[in-house]
Amino acid sequence: MGLKKERNLDIQPVATYERQSTRDYAGLLQQLESSDPSKRRWGARDLANYPQAVDPLLGRILVETEHPVREAIFDSLQQIGGPAVVSGLIPLLRNEDAAVRNGAIEVLQAMPEDVAPHIVELLNDSDSDVRIFAIDILQQLAHPQTPQWLLSVLKDETHINVIAAAVDRLAEVGTTDMLSELKALKLRFPDESYLQFAIQTAIDRIEGA
Amino acid sequence: MATSARQQAAQKKITDSEFQRFRDYFYRKTGIQFEESKRYFVDKRLLERMRITGHDSFNSYFTALRFQASGEELQELINVMTVNETYFFREEYQFECLVESVLDEVYSRKKPGEEIKIWSIPSSSGEEPYSIAIYLLEKWPKLDEIDVEIVSSDIDSKVLARCHQGVYSKRSVQHLPSRILAKYFTPLPNNNYQICQDLRDSIKFTQVNLNDVAQTRRYRNFDVIFCRNLLIYFDDASRRRAADVFYDAMNSGGFIFLGHSESMSRISSLFKVRKFPKAMVYQKPLV
Amino acid sequence: MKKILIVDDAVTVRMYHRQLMEALGFSVTEAVNGIEALEKSFSEHFDLYLVDVNMPKMDGYRLVQEMRKTPELQAAPVIMISTEESELDKEKAYLAGANFYIVKPAKMDELKTYAAILTGKVL
Repeated sequence: MGLKKERNLDIQPVATYERQSTRDYAGLLQQLESSDPSKRRWGARDLANYPQAVDPLLGRILVETEHPVREAIFDSLQQIGGPAVVSGLIPLLRNEDAAVRNGAIEVLQAMPEDVAPHIVELLNDSDSDVRIFAIDILQQLAHPQTPQWLLSVLKDETHINVIAAAVDRLAEVGTTDMLSELKALKLRFPDESYLQFAIQTAIDRIEGA
Repeated sequence: MATSARQQAAQKKITDSEFQRFRDYFYRKTGIQFEESKRYFVDKRLLERMRITGHDSFNSYFTALRFQASGEELQELINVMTVNETYFFREEYQFECLVESVLDEVYSRKKPGEEIKIWSIPSSSGEEPYSIAIYLLEKWPKLDEIDVEIVSSDIDSKVLARCHQGVYSKRSVQHLPSRILAKYFTPLPNNNYQICQDLRDSIKFTQVNLNDVAQTRRYRNFDVIFCRNLLIYFDDASRRRAADVFYDAMNSGGFIFLGHSESMSRISSLFKVRKFPKAMVYQKPLV
Repeated sequence: MKKILIVDDAVTVRMYHRQLMEALGFSVTEAVNGIEALEKSFSEHFDLYLVDVNMPKMDGYRLVQEMRKTPELQAAPVIMISTEESELDKEKAYLAGANFYIVKPAKMDELKTYAAILTGKVL
């Protein structure tokens, strides 16, 4: 007993179940449906190497109950990337399950180039929650057009929670050309104390720079 | 513009608003919150990064930082904002937690004949895995009753070679009680110390790239992982992927220690937060 | 001084509620999601929690559920706060273990009343 001494052994041999299920595409798709969640998770992780797996992965999210498996699916989708992934994730913003929505938002946040063409459409969605999720995506999105998109929300939006979300982001990324719009916004909602506070914070940050 | 005129044009101070904007952004990305007392520390480094990256104003620097797809400048910034020194028994409360709480829990779930596996990554110069080994020998009585394997990995083979040699400076061993130093180290010329052969044989050093799934998938059945002050230097995507690697490398119920200023709250929701008397640790949920 | 943990991913919302709670004499700590909230709860004791529902990584419902499963946090007073004003969400909040549920942004009177009830502090 005690500390094991180095005996120049090779790294732990690969577990037998992995040798049995082939790591080719067909085998992995089957693994994604396994009754064992840890096998499903490995299947999901390995499918990151197969761009053609986007649809099966998206399909699996809708029925998957285990959080670690869902996380692996989202991560693989992020690694595959591309327009098909974005198109497939956007509908998930309407999903009942917060974990599914958040998983989609996190992946979309990491794909600025592919998400950009969809932002305007999302910001104009008929569902105010989806519009807020679009602004959540903008929270982390590394795209230079972000401030302009947020400004457009200030100009065109009527739903107060959506406006509030946009103003919150502007406390970080607001620019001087937005000041007049922000000041006009203050006049539009004189009775909303949080909004007044948030707008003033954004203005102070922009002016204080 | 002549150099001196350009230097005149460059911003020399960070305003309060700029500091707040930066502080909120940095907190959101890393979980590290700078108090007002750190103003001088932060401002100095911000101005320096602005100078190095050729931005005359905080605004232009912050915009570039915020919207850079690669996240490289943020990584640089994190580098200069965090102090990273390695030495024996660094963040000792985590080793205390290991031998006073975590290992006992791991041990209680082991069947006869099973062993405990610990992974320390990155090896860096080896102080961490050797510290773990010393702590086990000195402070964990149950070591007599079960085999423990310590694996330590790094991406750099030169670094691993140095770990095998086990030669350390006075500075690196300064926090060791003199009894420990005398017991496990041999003094060398130049105020260096070499860790004893027995301990050098007790760590399995391996080369691994955390981003390479083909390599990392072979690391399995670990009960405890130490990954301190590495993830903070990764970008969001790599950090997340590393958390995936660790999750799959662990047995269910296994534990992972991060650096004291690191948090899973910015990385992954796979782990459970566990509080022990000496430290907070993350746990892969028990099945 | 009574201590409150404000858990919300939006910085200006945290700032706004901080102001309100400081005016009521609370000392305020912030967290951006449920995981960070748990971490901070393990390093210090809070007398009251103001928890947003929609947050990444671990949302408000899951945070409160976790708290109720944790001995030290089982009885911690929680005011849950959300943009939703619907019976279904209120029910979810109470089922998760929240003490009160209010609609964002909190009004001074509401916060004052609930904070007083939950912490026994005369405000």
